Parts: sequence; C-alpha cells; structure tokens
Amino acid sequence: MRAVHAANRLAVMITQGAALVVLIFVLNRVVPGDTVDVLALQGDLTPAQQAEMRRELGLDRSSAAQFIDWSARALAGDLGQSLRFGRPVADMVAQAIPTTLALAAGSFIVGLALALGLAIGAAMTGSRALAACVDAVNLWSIAIPTFCAGVVGILLFSIWLGWLPVIGSFVLPVLILGIDNAGQIVKPLHEELREASAAAHVRTARAKGLPPWRIAVFHLLPTAAPVTLALSGLVLTSLVAGTLTLEVLFGLPGLGSLTLNAVRGRDYPVLQAAAVVIALGLVLINGLADLLNRLIDPRLEQ
Amino acid sequence: MRRWGTLLGAAITIVAVLLALVGPAIAPFDPLEQDLLALNGPPGPAHWLGTDHIGRDVFARLVSGARTTLAIAVAGTMGAFLVGAVLGSIALALGRIPERIVFAGIDLVRAMPAVLLALLMIAAMGAGAVPVAIALALSFAPFFALTARAVYQRETAQPYVAAARTFGGGKLHILRLHLAPNLAGALVTQAGIVLPRCIVTESVLSFLGLGSSPDSPTWGRMVSDASPFMEAAPHAILAPVLALVLVTLGFVLLGDALRLRLDPLRRSGSAR
Amino acid sequence: MTSTPPLLRVERLSITGPSGRLVDNVSLCVGHGRTLALIGESGSGKSLTALSLMGLLPPALSVEPGARVALEAQALPITDERAMRAVRGRRIAMVFQDPMACLNPYLTIGFQIDEALMAAGERTRDRRRERRDALLGDVELSPALARRYPHELSGGQQQRVMTAIALAGEPKLLVADEPTSALDATIAAEVIGLLRRLQAERRMAMLFITHDLGVASALAHDIAVMKSGAIVEHGAAATILAHPAQPYTQRLVSARQALARGARHAGHAEGEDAPAATVSNLTVDYPGRGWFDRPVRAVDAVSLSVPAGRTLGIVGESGSGKSTLAGVVAGLRRPSSGDVQLLGTSLAATGWRFPPATRRACQIIFQNPAGALNPRLTVASLLAEPLGLAGLPRRERRERAVAAVEEVGLKPAHLDRYPHELSGGQRQRVCIARALLSQPRVLVCDEVVSALDMTVQVDVLTLLRDLQERRRFAMLFIGHDLDVVGWISDEVAVMHKGAVVEIGPAKQVLGAPTHPYTRRLLASRTHPSPSDSRADGSTA
Repeated sequence: MRAVHAANRLAVMITQGAALVVLIFVLNRVVPGDTVDVLALQGDLTPAQQAEMRRELGLDRSSAAQFIDWSARALAGDLGQSLRFGRPVADMVAQAIPTTLALAAGSFIVGLALALGLAIGAAMTGSRALAACVDAVNLWSIAIPTFCAGVVGILLFSIWLGWLPVIGSFVLPVLILGIDNAGQIVKPLHEELREASAAAHVRTARAKGLPPWRIAVFHLLPTAAPVTLALSGLVLTSLVAGTLTLEVLFGLPGLGSLTLNAVRGRDYPVLQAAAVVIALGLVLINGLADLLNRLIDPRLEQ
Repeated sequence: MRRWGTLLGAAITIVAVLLALVGPAIAPFDPLEQDLLALNGPPGPAHWLGTDHIGRDVFARLVSGARTTLAIAVAGTMGAFLVGAVLGSIALALGRIPERIVFAGIDLVRAMPAVLLALLMIAAMGAGAVPVAIALALSFAPFFALTARAVYQRETAQPYVAAARTFGGGKLHILRLHLAPNLAGALVTQAGIVLPRCIVTESVLSFLGLGSSPDSPTWGRMVSDASPFMEAAPHAILAPVLALVLVTLGFVLLGDALRLRLDPLRRSGSAR
Repeated sequence: MTSTPPLLRVERLSITGPSGRLVDNVSLCVGHGRTLALIGESGSGKSLTALSLMGLLPPALSVEPGARVALEAQALPITDERAMRAVRGRRIAMVFQDPMACLNPYLTIGFQIDEALMAAGERTRDRRRERRDALLGDVELSPALARRYPHELSGGQQQRVMTAIALAGEPKLLVADEPTSALDATIAAEVIGLLRRLQAERRMAMLFITHDLGVASALAHDIAVMKSGAIVEHGAAATILAHPAQPYTQRLVSARQALARGARHAGHAEGEDAPAATVSNLTVDYPGRGWFDRPVRAVDAVSLSVPAGRTLGIVGESGSGKSTLAGVVAGLRRPSSGDVQLLGTSLAATGWRFPPATRRACQIIFQNPAGALNPRLTVASLLAEPLGLAGLPRRERRERAVAAVEEVGLKPAHLDRYPHELSGGQRQRVCIARALLSQPRVLVCDEVVSALDMTVQVDVLTLLRDLQERRRFAMLFIGHDLDVVGWISDEVAVMHKGAVVEIGPAKQVLGAPTHPYTRRLLASRTHPSPSDSRADGSTA
C-alpha cells in the first residue's frame, strides 16, 4: 500500500504548501499602505497617478482577486517586478538560489557525516570520551547561535590568523552550519543507536556468530535511517535561520540576503516571492524525507 | 559532572538576571551616551568593557541589552505557553474535531521556520519588541502544544485512567488526579527548553536588524553594529557574543537539570 | 543415565549484577541427544543462565570466576567474547522468546538465514541457497518465503524461521528460551512438535527454558527446577512430575494439575434471575489508518448473556476480539452497532452513557496490574479514588481501605506502599480490592492472571471464586488459557476471529466440544502428566 501512503503524504504536502502561501500573502497585505504608497514616497506621485498605478498593478481589486492573480502569474513564472531595482523578481530569485543551495547542501552533508560518524562511533565503542563529544556538539548547537560562531570564526581565522578571506568564502559558513546541523541530529541518533544495540534482533545477530562490522552495518545502521531522516527535515527548517545570518555575515548573495534586503527596503514583491520559495522548498524537502523514510522501512508498507 | 553543569547553569542564570534587573542602575554611563573622544576604546578603568565605534560604553549597553533580551525572551516563552499549552489543552478537552483543527494549525506553524515567520510579522507590523515577541510565541507554541498532547495521549492510554472512568470519574477528576501532575512537570521542562531558544532567535533577529529599535540595544544588535569594526575593536563585538553564549548556555544547563528532576523518563529534550 | 560424558556440563555458575547475585552456583548437565527443561517462574534466573552459556549476557551483568562450563568435554570460554564468536551458531545456537522482535525488520528472511550460513562457514552462494532451501523445508516452510520480510509472516512462521537460523550451523546444542510463550496455544503446540522432530532427526541436545510444566513434559527427558537463582531439584522428567520431592516443585506441579483437573464445581442452582448483563448483536469495527484504509472488524455480531451471580468465561486466542468485547461491556468502548443491557438498563438507548448508579456497578480488572495502578500514588490513595468519587467522606476512607485489603488477603501495612514495591500478585489483589469498593454487580476480568506466575495464578483465581461466593456478583472472565477459564467459569464461550463459535456449560464445552476450533484448542493444551514425558529415553 505504498501508493496509499504516498497519496496521504502528497495531500498533506499540498495542503501545507497552499496554506503557507496564503499565510505569506496575507501577512504581506496586513500592513497599512501598499506598494504604491512606498513608491509614492520615493518619487512624488500625485493622487491621480497613484490611482492610475493601482489600477495598473491590480491593487484596487480585492485581496482574494489579487491572490488569484499573483498565483496565476507565479505558476506561469512571472513573479512581478522588484520595487527597488525594477528587475524581474523571478530573475533575482533564480540568481540567488544556487548560493543558498550550495550553502545548505554543503553544510547538510558535513553535518550528516559528522553526526553519523560520532554517533556510530560512540554507540559501538561505548567510549565515554566520544559520548562526551556527542553531548558537547549537541550543546553547541543549542547554546551558540550561528552568527556568534561566525563572528568568532572570522576573528580567529580571517583576521588574526589570516587563513581565509573575510567575505565571499564558503569554507567557514559551511563548517559552522555543519557543526550546528550535526548538533541537532547527533544526540537523538546516539540514543537510538544505543537502544538498538540492546535490541532483540541485534542479539540474534550476535547469536549467529557474526563479526562486529557486519552487525553494525546490517543490523544497527538500518535503525539509524528513520531517525536521521526524521531529524533531517527539522534540520533543514532550522537551516533557514542559519543561512540567513551567515549569508549576511559573510556577504554571500543568496536567498537569505535577498529576503532580508526586501524586508528592509519594503520590497514586497521580492519578499513575497522569496518567502514563498523558501517555504515551499521546505515543505517539499520535508515531504521527500518522509516518503524516503517509508520507502526504506518495509513494515510501513502495511 | 551533572552537578557541575547544574551549578554553573544556575550561577550564570542568577548573574544574568541580576544584571538585567540591577545593571542599568549601577552602570556608570548611559547606554546611549556617546563619548566622541574615545571611539573604539579598549577596556580600561573608565569604560570597563571599552567603547564602541561611536563612543558608547559597552558595559552599559551590555546590561541594558540583557534586560531587553531577557524580557523579550520571557515574553515569547510565556506567549508560546499560552498559545501552545492552553490552546492545545482546550482543544484536547473539547474532542476530536477541535483537536484535529488546532493541531493541523500547529503542524503548519511547525513547518515554518521561526525566523521566516518573524520576518513576515515584522514586515506586517513593523520592527519592534512586540512583533518579535509575537513571532517567538507563535513559533515556539508547537513545543508546548505537542508536549501537552503527548502527555495527554500517554496518560489517557493508561489502564488506570480507564479504571477511573469505571469509578464514575469524569474528565475533571482525571485531569486533576492523573493528568495534571505529569502535565505540569512536562510543561515546565519545555519552558526550560524554549527560553534559551527564544534568546537565540531574538538575537538572530536583532542581528539582522529586525529586532528592537536602535535605541534599546539588544546583544544581537550590538554584534551587528560592531561587526564592520571587528578588526579595530574586537572587544566591542566579543562582549555581546560572549554574553549571548554564556547566558544561553546557563539557561540550557539549568533547563537540562530541570528536565532530569521532573521528567526523567523522557529522552533528550524537545518535542520537535 | 548413560555412562558417556554429557554433552554440556555446567558447574558452579554464578551471575551477578548491580542488584546482587541473580544466579547462584548453578550446576547442570545435558546429555547427548537429550532435552533438559529448565523450569522456573519469573525472576528465577533461568533465562540468564541460558544467555550466559552463549556469552550474551547484558553488559551490566557478569559471570563470577570459578564457573566451569564444558561442551563436549572441551572448556567453553563463556566470558571470552572473541572466542565465543567462533562457537555461536556452530556448536551452540539459541532460539528466543519473541520471534518478531528477534528478526531484523529491514532484511528479508532469506538474507537473515543466508547470514547464518555464512557465519557457519558456507562460502559459495549456490551452496548457501541450497542449504537455505533445505533448512526452510526442515522447518516446514516453503522456500518461496525467503523473499518475504519478517512482518509478513505469522508468529508461528517467524519462530520456524528463527529455528532455521539456529540450525544453520548444525549445532550440537540448541538453547531455546521460552520459544512458545509468546505464541497462541494452537501454534505453540505445532512448534513444540517441530522441535521434537528436529531434535530426533539431528540427534541434537536441547536446553529448553520454560515456566510451563505442561510444555516441559511434552519435550523433556530431564528437568531442573530453578527458584531465586538456584537449582531446587533436578532429575528425570517422569520422576519429577510424578513424585516431586521439594516443596516448591510440589507447588508448581499441583498448581498446574489443579487447573487441569476439573471444571468448576456446579454449586449454584440454575439461575432464575434475569441475567446481569446481556450482549445483543454487538459489532465493533476499528477505523483504518489514514484516509484511505478499510476498517477492521474486531467483534462480529456477538450475542451472549452473563447470568446473575455466576461466571461466564470467554476463551480465545489473540485477535479473537475477546478483550474488545470486555471493553464494551465495561463501558470503556463504544461499539459500532448492537446493544448491551446492564442490570436492566440498555446502554445503546442512553447513548452509551452510564447513569451514575449503573456506572459503578460494573467494574473491570485488567491484565497488567502495573499499568492499572498510577505509579505515583500509594495503595491507600489508589483505594481512596473510587471511594472519593462515590462520595464517601474523607475520614471513613481509611477504614474502608483497610477492610478492602484484608478482604483480598493483604495487610494494612501494604496501604502505605507504592505499586512498584509490591509483587505482581499483590498488585493484582490491590486492583481487585479497588474494584470491589464500588460494590459491583458485574465484574469483568480481562486476562487477569495471564501475567502472573503459575503458583500465584491459582491463589488469585481461588480468591476471585471465594469473593464471588460471598458477594454474589456476576463475572465475565476473559482468558486464553482453557484450563484457567474452565476452572472458574460456570459457562464458557469460545471466540474466534470476532465471533462466538461455541457456547455452553463449562463441563460440556471442555469435555465434549462440538466446534472444530474448540477441539483444536483443547488438543493443543499441554498437561504435565508423567505418561506424556520422554523419561524412558525415547526420542520419539
């Protein structure tokens, strides 16, 4: 019945995605004064010109109509024009995505490798030192905001040691976010693996006389997969804050910087589009992670 | 090992709260006062932690920031509790349909990263402490709501709750005798988890320039202000960074100790 | 006994853990091709003994120095992990209690058998496939099942797979730790038959751990009885079962035989009174999960009645719907359709809301006494709960509580204890006392003795019977063990897949059943009768 679960999941995803888009749209419209008011402030526009502009941009219609309008155009690929720069928003977003993707994907991989290595090592060897490392990394991700680590990192590696350039380098942000991500996964993963070691089917594997590496790979590791996948979705959600701040700190031109500048400059079309892209991206990835989870576990087919 | 952590956490928390309450009174300078003759001055007998790029006393700004940061974080936590625990509990008490609706909403909010939500709130309401606190309350409400639901589901599945119904016990009786003790412990534990996260999220927002106004500095804002001058005045940026890290750490350690005392059966931390 | 040295000889085995000595100076031996049943109740240390022989003790426990274990006259290094790896699966193999949990859910069963073969030294893939199919045939499974996952198999099939895995290395000794305890009676009987046959064919020795004397008698040549970590008595199976020497063994044997011996005495006149509870055409469906799944029917148009002051027993295996039915009668669950008449009140008519007077008149006791008692409350508070809800003033509650615990055979001192400080039997007595405080006219007992040790079971059953004679409440007694249910019930209903297949007076249903399912249930009962055992050395 994989199809049933996929259908369930898809339904949930679509509902969530749609609801988020509506939410973003509503929040954008709540502020008194709209695009035209902003433009009116920038360059003097007479009331007549403002009314004309409103008609042109479709802002004199009801919110619902505007939403439908926007959605229709968005699906066709037209996300409007930036108020500050006059460029098509779709272009700006498209240009920003690769940077953010590189940062997010890179740090995710680093984090996963670190978390898996640490958790498996600690669970299999039972070493207290490694268990302490697990706790330490976990504590790091909770207590140290990424931008603080970023600042210290810049001070240490760019200014005092001079190893890395201050702006534009991906090395430091990926590392910092990586450790942050690892910290969120590593502790639950470690606990899960420790419990799995005591599990009945692992005992059966030992009773067969299998060598330890085989037990780890075929009998312990599969237990790690569902937990990792479940946590990965959450990690990605928290990555948003991390990429946002580090893009700003390290001067990387990604979606985060784009969104932030849009908020500061009241550039609603850009803000709307960027927020929607980020939100939908998250919904998509979370949904995929869940589907993957179900694919791996044969029991969930029933 | 555990005891050291708890003691450290408690100590840091107490110091932080004290500074927040009393600090602005004992600081020798006003946080907004500019001493144009001492730009980016290093720590010394006059300015204990030095001055920033426009001559403001770092120590004064630090303690004033403590007050603002903690105030917002506490407000956010309490708001999250109200929305999450109270709303969630009411929904649970009312029945299946209210429960489904409320928790579908919770799931939706959970899918939204806190910072993004805050961004949108600020875009809608303008910068300031209130939109930030609201955003924090909404973002962290799921922690409380899901905890309340987990405790509710776990307890109502117990045979002893079923037995209570056979003695004629109604919802109120079950709530009082069987649910409330567990619920209280779990929710206080969650508060200990949510508070440090509120501090961090608030500081991220301030760092991005979206938090409170420039006149009431929070630590995140101080970091962002000082970051162009990192090389010349490392003290001005390190002070708020270290303050943030230490205070958050303190609350986390304290929250952990609380969890061990109140809810030793559960595994690490959050409802997420 | 024969004069050749035994296959397995254990001397002075002691196991300690953080809470003290769990196995105390155990010595036993298993002869070639013979089965030794290690019998004991929970906490006797029998499972730990078995695990230690494989070197599979949990990390917190350790074997004390001074133990000598020899397999085929060679020393067995049970404390040396590396050395044991070569031994496990090849010279000794083990089968565990809960087959579903013991199989890796992510791998096909073919893969898992293959692994065992690899560990046993089969190098070529073709050879392994051949042997794998042969093994599956040996355990009476089709080779096609190799492609399936564990959760797709039934409990009995899973246990057969576990057995195949254990036999892959052609061990000389098979250790079986309660392999049938988690299985339904009919399936358990099949698995026992399988093990007997395999042992005979392969001339394997078996160390069989169990708490059930009946199972032991079906398989064992020799028996060793354990209590509190020590061996209390050992010898040939026939001797022990016919003439147990030690008092503890005598209690075990008599408890089992008491249950098997006779159905309940017919002490009551045929009831003229209206039945205490009547179930009419009751159906319970469980909704499917998600939006697209179909509902599952747990109870299918069941009709029966519980006569006032007497006991109706319901017997069924897992999935028969008996617990669901109990839940509906006790008012804890709503059915999909049908009615329950309780003391004259129709529940369906009131929308399944009990009027207060009727609510307390129907009480239920659950299988797991630990789950039924809030661990944060003392016994006194637990008993005060129904009293408080009934409106009794605070100062009278203590008195009533004292009377209640004494009525069930406990002492007033127990009132100030917490549930985890009591034994399983004591906890169940507390549950009974608590239920009685509401002066019930109907008592629903849902598998109330299934989680208790054999010796304790008889005590609790006797208590229930005495209480019923004194207080004259009607009892609906649910269970899976025919002997237990038959002992305490006046009438018996047999449930299978949600429906009642047979119902009648206990003597009739148990003595001369008409439905084939009832007959199968009866046939799969195991009785500790000496004539069943294999003490004569036969391996048939």
